[in-house]
Amino acid sequence: MTTLSSTPDTVALQESIERHARYSLGKTWSGLSVRDRFNAVALAVRDRMVDGMLATEDRFKRSDSKRVYYLSIEYLIGQSLGNNLLNLGIREACREALSNLGTDLDDLEESEPDAALGNGGLGRLAACFLDSLATLGMPGYGYGINYEYGLFKQEIDDGYQREKPDNWLAQSTPWEIPRPDEACLIPVYGRIEDSVDRRGLYNPMWMDWKILIGIPYDMLIPGYGGHTVNYLRLYSARSSHDFDMGIFNDGDYFKAVEQKIASETISKVLYPSDAVVAGQELRLLQEYFLVACTLRDIIRRFELDHTSYADFSAKVAIQMNDTHPALSVAELMRILVDEKDVEWEAAWQTTQATLAFTNHTLMPEALEKWPAELLGRVLPRHLQIIYEINRRFLDQVRISFPGDAERAQRLSIIEESAPKQVRMANLAIVGSHSINGVSAIHSELVKTVLAPDFFKLWPGRFNQKTNGVTQRRWLLKANPPLANLITSAVGDDWITDLNRLRELEKYATDAGFQAAFQKVKQFNKEKLASVIEDAIYLKVDPNSLFDVQVKRIHAYKRQLLNVMHIVDQYLSLIEDGHQPAVPRTYIFSGKAAPGYWLAKQIIKLVHNVARVVNNDSKANPWIKVAFIPDYRVSLAEKIIPAADLSEQISTAGTEASGTGNMKLALNGAVTIGTLDGANIEILEEVGAENMFIFGLQPSEVQTLRQQKTYRPRDHYARSPRSKRVVDSFSSNLFSPHEPDLFKWIFTSLLDPNDEHVHVADFVPYIEAQRQVADTFGDRAQWSRMAILNIARVGKFSSDRAVTEYAREIWGVRDASLPSPVGAFAGSGETGQSNPSAVLTRA
Amino acid sequence: MEISVNNVDGVAVAAVPVDELDASNASEFKRDITPVLQANTKLVLDLGRLRFVDSSGLGAMLSCLRQLSAKSGDLKLCGMSKQVRALFELVRMHRIFDIYATQEEAVRAFRH
Repeated sequence: MTTLSSTPDTVALQESIERHARYSLGKTWSGLSVRDRFNAVALAVRDRMVDGMLATEDRFKRSDSKRVYYLSIEYLIGQSLGNNLLNLGIREACREALSNLGTDLDDLEESEPDAALGNGGLGRLAACFLDSLATLGMPGYGYGINYEYGLFKQEIDDGYQREKPDNWLAQSTPWEIPRPDEACLIPVYGRIEDSVDRRGLYNPMWMDWKILIGIPYDMLIPGYGGHTVNYLRLYSARSSHDFDMGIFNDGDYFKAVEQKIASETISKVLYPSDAVVAGQELRLLQEYFLVACTLRDIIRRFELDHTSYADFSAKVAIQMNDTHPALSVAELMRILVDEKDVEWEAAWQTTQATLAFTNHTLMPEALEKWPAELLGRVLPRHLQIIYEINRRFLDQVRISFPGDAERAQRLSIIEESAPKQVRMANLAIVGSHSINGVSAIHSELVKTVLAPDFFKLWPGRFNQKTNGVTQRRWLLKANPPLANLITSAVGDDWITDLNRLRELEKYATDAGFQAAFQKVKQFNKEKLASVIEDAIYLKVDPNSLFDVQVKRIHAYKRQLLNVMHIVDQYLSLIEDGHQPAVPRTYIFSGKAAPGYWLAKQIIKLVHNVARVVNNDSKANPWIKVAFIPDYRVSLAEKIIPAADLSEQISTAGTEASGTGNMKLALNGAVTIGTLDGANIEILEEVGAENMFIFGLQPSEVQTLRQQKTYRPRDHYARSPRSKRVVDSFSSNLFSPHEPDLFKWIFTSLLDPNDEHVHVADFVPYIEAQRQVADTFGDRAQWSRMAILNIARVGKFSSDRAVTEYAREIWGVRDASLPSPVGAFAGSGETGQSNPSAVLTRA
Repeated sequence: MEISVNNVDGVAVAAVPVDELDASNASEFKRDITPVLQANTKLVLDLGRLRFVDSSGLGAMLSCLRQLSAKSGDLKLCGMSKQVRALFELVRMHRIFDIYATQEEAVRAFRH
């Protein structure tokens, strides 16, 4: 049935949805479950994206465009339906089509499981970049692993995190298009047999290998406006046979099946971050599997249109997202030298000119190293190649720094330890023409702390590319009321040019606009309050200050410092009778790596503090604490629009960039933060008067560590409030039924080796929090700050970041965009048919 | 496995009679090709039917080449599918074997 007011878009979509229900799913619409309805809609949307993808591919092929391949072991995609509909400009048409069929689009969007093929910032950055590449009309493709199990689902049991498997592919996903015809064969293990070829030249042959098969699955990525549809290609590992029939025939059925399972394990599960992966053979196999499948595909595509490898780097750019794809250096060399008969020197020039490396961390424990023995066993030819790269590189080092053996040792790809290790960051740096950090301070620390010897050798290769987020996902989709308010004020150009938000500055003191902004925020807070009540049965006051810290749980991110503030506020209220200036709801969400005891203890601490505070009738009109389980992209889209205050309080010098800080500021949260990561650049953009900056600077933290001059007991003795908070962890105030549960926190806070200098930053932090509370009490002033945050974060669009990568690293120009692809693209839709309607919906 | 052999201008031409040459049948292949290797010095192996070869299969072919080389003979390969050719290249065996597109070309190469 179709209503009279339906547009042609609506009619065509409705027909397509019903056709997929019938012919793809084999059911009538009325007989479909919610899951089936979602699948039918997704398939109808996918049809349009396929048309766009084929047209896009034709366009790039005709122009022989240079292509960008983004290699990342993680992609944190989240839900796709709403985002795809918005980018294609057919969300309202789809809403109407479904309404005609008696179904609510919001319900279907909500029912979609998150694709959680990543842990946090690194994977989400990759997803944002793909959105920007397509929106900017660039030929840019993501390559990754099609993990059968994404990041675990988090459940909370008596305050303790429990991990449940996330078998997101159990029911398959309509977004993936399998491409078995483009499967690739990947040898691993074996040995090298030295021989000579028919011309009498040395020929190392790779013998006795086992084979993996990589099956590609494409997820289509539509850019905003539908002009360009790129893809994310994810590989699943399959064994070379269903199982080895020879072994089966000999009667050893279980061994045969085991071999099949071992092969397929490669793409079975995403490693949680912070897991100890060093020495874990499966992780090394995953990394090589990603690299080998990707490069084989790049070569296949290159050879469709080109015959000379002299042209390779002019047509191909490969970005390595952290060190996980660093084996690309050895694999590309192997392909060029072994398979394509390119001379070593020419191959090396091509490799360096093609590859670029993004560093994401300064944490020494996160810098990957693989035992040479393990690498040689899994990839014998690659280890040979790495040794040869290193030998030639060190010859060059000795010329540049004659007699400086220590420097040569530091620069070497091989760490001459016992056991000998292959340093993947060094391999990535040596094999790349560009090495970038992900914020200004991080890029500086890469040059001065992480790789100063390399910087001295090749200063021109180091550069800065501050991270960014896509405003299509994090404002247009996540926060329609705010998106509509902004559009009603300054138009919708901000959707593809975030700097246009600057035009909001003039509304920052406009009473009418402030009132509208407050109404939007209140609407979002009420929605989040409802989410919290549904999730953990806790009522929170939407009029209170929503103080939000959402991110992975990690020592350096200092959720503990936030808890210390809660404890301070609670004890000041209970023991001293000091009421805070405003009621506040502390909202946490985030996962701890399963093997990371400290982070899991912090989750337990938050819950125990919440239990005490939330059940204390004297405290809870003023303070509530909520931990929302199972943080993921779709949950972030609900929390971030509702935040008043954004907690970005990592130890100065530890957070590479952060992107949560950008998303929150974009949604009108004011930041309380340290001078760390991209906070520093946010400060430059929004101004010190619109943020709450506190604490030690990176150089001060570094000095305390290096000179061992951190004296937490001095701070503790000087500040009665610090002492009271620290002491509370040695009492059983927050663990009445588990004595001494948090005593370790008391001990670690007073330990001069506390790397995260909690006690040193505590007093400045609570002073900054006092200012927050005082300011929040002045709604006009707070609204002004929040609006200016939105207006001034245009720099932090992933469109800007990707444009910089394209211009300065990849050598790819913004492609001129053709007319929109498909009948429904480019309708100028901004998320809601009636911008003002949403404001009144609450 | 049954390996049929033709003699073309003094060159033995044999076809690998399976779709997949791997750990399950490489020993059988080696056993059954042995009489052919003993009776000839010039051998062309047609891999036209082969769709997949693993390291055992490649090892078996290498063994053939070495046996013939030991008596100053040679082995030439032909008819490789793209996928099989890719595996040869991947492990650098394409530099050890003389590889031709067709039987005729491989046989002709023995004349030069």
